[in-house]
Amino acid sequence: MTATVRGTAASMPRPDYATLIQSDRVHGSLYTSEQIFAEELERIWYRTWVYIGHASEVPEPGDYVRKSVGPQDLIMTRDRDGGLHVLLNRCAHRANLVCEDARGNSKSFRCPYHGWTYRNTGELIGYPYRQGYEGNGKLDLAMGRVPRVDSYHGFVFGSFAADGPTLAEHLGAAAGEIDRLARLSPDGQVQLNAGWLKHRTRANWKLLAENETDGYHPQFVHSSIFSVTGSPIAALYSDKSSAVTRNLGNGHSENDLRPEFRNFGEPMRWFGTTQARVPDYVARMREVHGEAAEQILVEGAPHVMIFPNLFIAEIQVFVIQPLSAGECIQHSTAVQLKGAPELNKRMVSQSIGSVGPAGMLLADDTEMYERNQRGVAMLQPEWLDLRRGLHRERVDERGLTIGTATDETAMRGFWSHYRTLMEAAA
Amino acid sequence: MSEADDGSRRAGKVTGPASDLVGSEFAEVEASVDTTANGPRLRLEDRRTGRVRFLDALELETIIWLPEGHLQLLLDPSADRWREEPGR
Repeated sequence: MTATVRGTAASMPRPDYATLIQSDRVHGSLYTSEQIFAEELERIWYRTWVYIGHASEVPEPGDYVRKSVGPQDLIMTRDRDGGLHVLLNRCAHRANLVCEDARGNSKSFRCPYHGWTYRNTGELIGYPYRQGYEGNGKLDLAMGRVPRVDSYHGFVFGSFAADGPTLAEHLGAAAGEIDRLARLSPDGQVQLNAGWLKHRTRANWKLLAENETDGYHPQFVHSSIFSVTGSPIAALYSDKSSAVTRNLGNGHSENDLRPEFRNFGEPMRWFGTTQARVPDYVARMREVHGEAAEQILVEGAPHVMIFPNLFIAEIQVFVIQPLSAGECIQHSTAVQLKGAPELNKRMVSQSIGSVGPAGMLLADDTEMYERNQRGVAMLQPEWLDLRRGLHRERVDERGLTIGTATDETAMRGFWSHYRTLMEAAA
Repeated sequence: MSEADDGSRRAGKVTGPASDLVGSEFAEVEASVDTTANGPRLRLEDRRTGRVRFLDALELETIIWLPEGHLQLLLDPSADRWREEPGR
């Protein structure tokens, strides 16, 4: 029997999402209301597919890493047969956290409170002083498991709902962006094994999700890092840019920078370098892909926000973990491409420069997020405007809505999907 | 605030010229090859209790060949260590 006591949602009138979310504006309370946050946990984070971790983080039998979905503490494990499991970090006895370390290797876990011991599949092996339970194997208990787990190119997603759309249905057009990233590896494999940084951020998670494919802010917020590094990135996000912002459906979106890179036609420009600087990588890609390598090397990596929490920013990956209406954690790491050591080293150093403790990119964005969170608490005006580029949106050859590089097409797609989920039956 | 994950802080630390620590958040065992007897043997020390066990080559080979299920039975806390009746 499952007994559930719902939070505030059951006893209070539900917010009117049709009023709060309109096609050209959203209400500020969506970022500040703890009631709405409680409903988001129920209807988004504990229901839809949410990114959890990457298979490359647990390469060996017995490997485990601690992960999270919102406030839920999870353990992703690799069993002795190579199977992948996502457990809830909670002892079936008195609910203590079973694992404390961020990662490790152990085929079994022993709760430090009373010594209950589990296989890394969640199965209960035993407990001390068995006679208190009339022997061993007398309790039908185990660690909790995320009901549905699936992966795509090693990106592991989970859903707390036993039924619902498949992962492939959820990813939809966004799957092609993960394909693009994997294709940049000569071996076709992405690895997220460079270690993670965590940045606690006093802002609502949606401010981050919206910002990830907002092409309007880089020229302002990131002007310092662009000028210091002499980066050509700024030009990609201007009204003269041929790049587009694309609503990929299901809340996913991208800044498609390929039109700009195609105009230049220079391999590795997307990476801020030339093919002469990474000769082994370019040679291997040409060996693997033949004539198709040219296009892959010119077009580069995706800049895609996968609803609700996975942001692939060309050479880095960010994962958003909401904690409350006003607080979240940004987890970030450098992309690593199997078979591309020349690129991997650079991606780590570039990530340190952009999202490391003294990095400039994430710090700039976070300053905006936290200012924004303070701003949305102000009483007037009540709304956030979403109109930019609404008049010039069009549908591309794939039937997806696109705007220019600086338009708010992605945000409108995010909110449309968000509203569908929040209005769905409990 | 930034903080680096560091789950490896207990793993694989060399504690002396001839010993290694095999550690996790669940257990910490110091392992070394002891040569004070007539033949070499593995010396294992539970760092949390100080309890020591020596394993000779034949015993080690036996452990390697233990079926996974047998090993799992031994991991039951009340199999030997934490039990009401005296251990075997």
